[in-house]
Amino acid sequence: MLYREAGDYKTSYVDDAQTFPIAFDRWRYYVVLVVAFAIIPVFISDYMAKSVMIPFLVFCIAAMGLNILTGYCGQVSLGTGGFMAVGAYASYKLMTAFPELNIFFVVLLSGGITAAVGALFGLPSLRIKGFYLAVATLAAQFFLVWLFNKVPWFFNYSATGQITAPPRSVFGVDVTGPEVPAWGAYLFCAVFVFLLAWLMRNLTRGRVGRQWMAIRDMDIAAEIIGVNPLRTKLSAFAVSSFYVGIAGALFFSVYLGAAEPTEAFGINQSFLVLFMIIIGGLGSIFGCFAGAAFMIMMPVLLKNLMVDGMGWPTTIATHFEFVIVGALIVAFLILEPHGLAQLWRLMKEKLRLWPFPH
Amino acid sequence: MSAEFLYTIEVILNGLLTGVMYSLVALGFVLIFKASGIFNYSQGVMALFAALTLVGFQDGQVPFAELINAVLGTEIHGFGWEMPTILAILCALAVMLLFAILVERIILKHLVNQEPIILFMATIGLAYFLEGFGDLMWGSDIKALDLGLPQGGSFWIEDMTVSWAAEDSGFYGMYIDKLDLIAAGVAVALVVALTAFSQYTRIGRALRAVADDHQAALSVGISLRFIWVVTWAIAGFVALVAGSMWGAKSGVQFSLSLIALKALPVLMLGGFTSIPGAIVGGLIIGVGEKLFEFAIGPMVGGATENWFAYVLALIFLVFRPQGLFGDKIIERV
Amino acid sequence: MSIHAAEAASDDVAYASQEEAHGIEPRRIGGTVMEMKNITLRFGGVTAIKDISFDIKEHEIRAIIGPNGAGKSSMLNVINGFYHPQEGEIWFRGAKRGPMKPYEIAQQGIARTFQNIALFKGMTTLDNIMTGRMTMMKTNFWQQAMWWGSAQREEVEHRRRVEEIIDFLEIQAIRKTPVGRLPYGLQKRVELGRALAAEPKLLLLDEPMAGMNVEEKEDMCRFILDVNDEFGTTIALIEHDMGVVMDIADRVVVLDYGRKIGDGTPEEVRANQDVIDAYLGVSHD
Repeated sequence: MLYREAGDYKTSYVDDAQTFPIAFDRWRYYVVLVVAFAIIPVFISDYMAKSVMIPFLVFCIAAMGLNILTGYCGQVSLGTGGFMAVGAYASYKLMTAFPELNIFFVVLLSGGITAAVGALFGLPSLRIKGFYLAVATLAAQFFLVWLFNKVPWFFNYSATGQITAPPRSVFGVDVTGPEVPAWGAYLFCAVFVFLLAWLMRNLTRGRVGRQWMAIRDMDIAAEIIGVNPLRTKLSAFAVSSFYVGIAGALFFSVYLGAAEPTEAFGINQSFLVLFMIIIGGLGSIFGCFAGAAFMIMMPVLLKNLMVDGMGWPTTIATHFEFVIVGALIVAFLILEPHGLAQLWRLMKEKLRLWPFPH
Repeated sequence: MSAEFLYTIEVILNGLLTGVMYSLVALGFVLIFKASGIFNYSQGVMALFAALTLVGFQDGQVPFAELINAVLGTEIHGFGWEMPTILAILCALAVMLLFAILVERIILKHLVNQEPIILFMATIGLAYFLEGFGDLMWGSDIKALDLGLPQGGSFWIEDMTVSWAAEDSGFYGMYIDKLDLIAAGVAVALVVALTAFSQYTRIGRALRAVADDHQAALSVGISLRFIWVVTWAIAGFVALVAGSMWGAKSGVQFSLSLIALKALPVLMLGGFTSIPGAIVGGLIIGVGEKLFEFAIGPMVGGATENWFAYVLALIFLVFRPQGLFGDKIIERV
Repeated sequence: MSIHAAEAASDDVAYASQEEAHGIEPRRIGGTVMEMKNITLRFGGVTAIKDISFDIKEHEIRAIIGPNGAGKSSMLNVINGFYHPQEGEIWFRGAKRGPMKPYEIAQQGIARTFQNIALFKGMTTLDNIMTGRMTMMKTNFWQQAMWWGSAQREEVEHRRRVEEIIDFLEIQAIRKTPVGRLPYGLQKRVELGRALAAEPKLLLLDEPMAGMNVEEKEDMCRFILDVNDEFGTTIALIEHDMGVVMDIADRVVVLDYGRKIGDGTPEEVRANQDVIDAYLGVSHD
């Protein structure tokens, strides 16, 4: 009964096009912001930050990136891991080459560099479509990871071949390096998530987003009514890679601290992010959050349940994770191709009418 | 003949033999793609699963032993007998047939008329499921697969070729693995058998009809669902062959499923719908990556095999999007 | 002067004065907008269009008719640049067209609808029609990314125009419905709306009435005539329903087997022996 649009009149096109047209949603949104930026940082523990919150935030960004490309522009990419590696190595090179540069800008610039690389690998999308393209993006995945493994310049000729994030701070609070307080790292990532979600909403609500969706839904018709396919696809690749690059930079510098490409940015990472957006919902910002939360939480819960709760070996929990993830992907594609976001929308539709049946 | 030249020949020969193995995996993809328009990413995991099942039966392992032990607190591992290879192969085939039926019942039936990319993602899900399931069922440790096939370098070839080079050139003859030769023979036999099957049997004709046009095939009374079970079963059979060949060579383990990733560029090169394409594509990539690693690899730090096939296929596709043998794509409004 | 003609003339006068009273420019056929000169299009060995020339004049409704496989849709595809003819010249608004991509041609002011509806299924009616105005949006990527300010202002401005089209086509109720859920007739209407939103200099309609029932056809005819009247839009359309074509077209070009066999007013075409042969068949005895 609280959740309704009746009585909430829209008198301008601006009001009509707002992100949360229903008053209740607007309030909920503000509550979420307050909880995320004022309450969680106070109570967050090291364990929560390390095993749940920071990976969740980082993968939200990666999922938003892939969702822009796949959910909005219809180009499936299996190269997410490789592009995350670009972001990570770009941030490493920037941090070590310009120690004075604020880490905030380092992360942004890493995203920019990844955007350029992504646009380059997006070029074939003009000629190759569908799963041919999906397979072609694997070229980026394997080539990039190999490159970061084999060219010593990228890891500053370190003997182990690893990259390690030097300590950097924002407003005097460490966000990278060994001495990071949980709330600092959390807030740093949360700010990026907030800004990037806002940016994504802006891009997808207007002309740019419509061009992407036009290419997704029917590329030939889109071209005939005036969409430049090359520019549109490349912009999707670039923006998507910008997000994925930032996710990679944060993943390496804030979350891992030290990384080695094959392990941290392998093809499994690409699939993980792809699964997030399938389960969360293609073409939905909320879906990115839902999918990331699901895919990050599930292994943690499974481990708690099976290993700590029932005393099974970890290997079994891992196998079950694969079985469950695989089954869920298939189930979602069969039952609800638009993922958790669609379930959420349906629930809201129901709520709008509640308690009346029609 | 100079040693340099002989080395190159050796590299090419080994590349060809590896290429045959790639083709073998790619063949499974092509079969399913032609019959149902599904790009079956799980083909590699199917090969792993088939090989795991084969070893499991051979060694008399108890399925889900690890899980049963964890739940019931028991200590069971095997039945304590060993199955003859032929019987184990038949049992593994039966499992793959069951798998095909289940896939049709549980997944494909519900995804009729979905976009190809959705089906593709569903098979990625299937791959994950099957990987976890296979590990749960048979355990995730590396297993040796012994089919009683000869292994190791062929002395005959080594002896024959060593005399071709000058005495002091440091060339000790070509190293060609006997197993590779057998695998190549098996692959050729498989291709011949499949071609004969699709050309001369009733089901084969139905298969080709479905590949050509689903609706037309339906309208003349071919059961799509039956055909799908048949294709997935054949793909399972191909997976078993590919899995046991690779497994015999380098052990049955997780990395076996990664051969699917090698087969993908083969398909892009050869076109998804062409059996000759899969074979020629496999050979080109097999030889190409071995030659590239041999000639350029040392200069750039090696391990170029990880990406060479993909980059080759990518560059090729940009100029010829339909692949080597695919039909020309005409876009319509 | 017969009584009928006199009546028609007085009707015309009344019509014209009414239009003037509404401040709408009276519909008058003007100079040539588009001219096709000796167009030949081949696919491999197949010649889809053989040496065809015709023109389209400003503000007119020009119909392209012909039996199946006559090359009508190919002709439309040539006009909007999806196919590139091997021979011949295309002149649009006084300039010869060089090699151009379809989207560049759309930006020049040629919009179209499709035989098999080509709407963006995942988007709402509103978004679909807004896509039609894409070529007129001026804000750049960065302004779009910031949204507040110029991008939002521009969006509202275009939304206002789109709402006019929505009112015109009487589809207010389905404004926020994803088009995939709409029935066929409404989808056709939304597609027309998307083409209109581009404010085209030349509007191409590929079988706008295919698969419709009589009421829907009448609605569509009315919309086409209204578009032509009120906005003065030049229209080239392909249609199979002869009754419709004869009623609404100013001039008709008839194709058969990729050749032009007739061109002129509906009356002239109706009297053309080649056209009658093509449609009714010739007895070979």
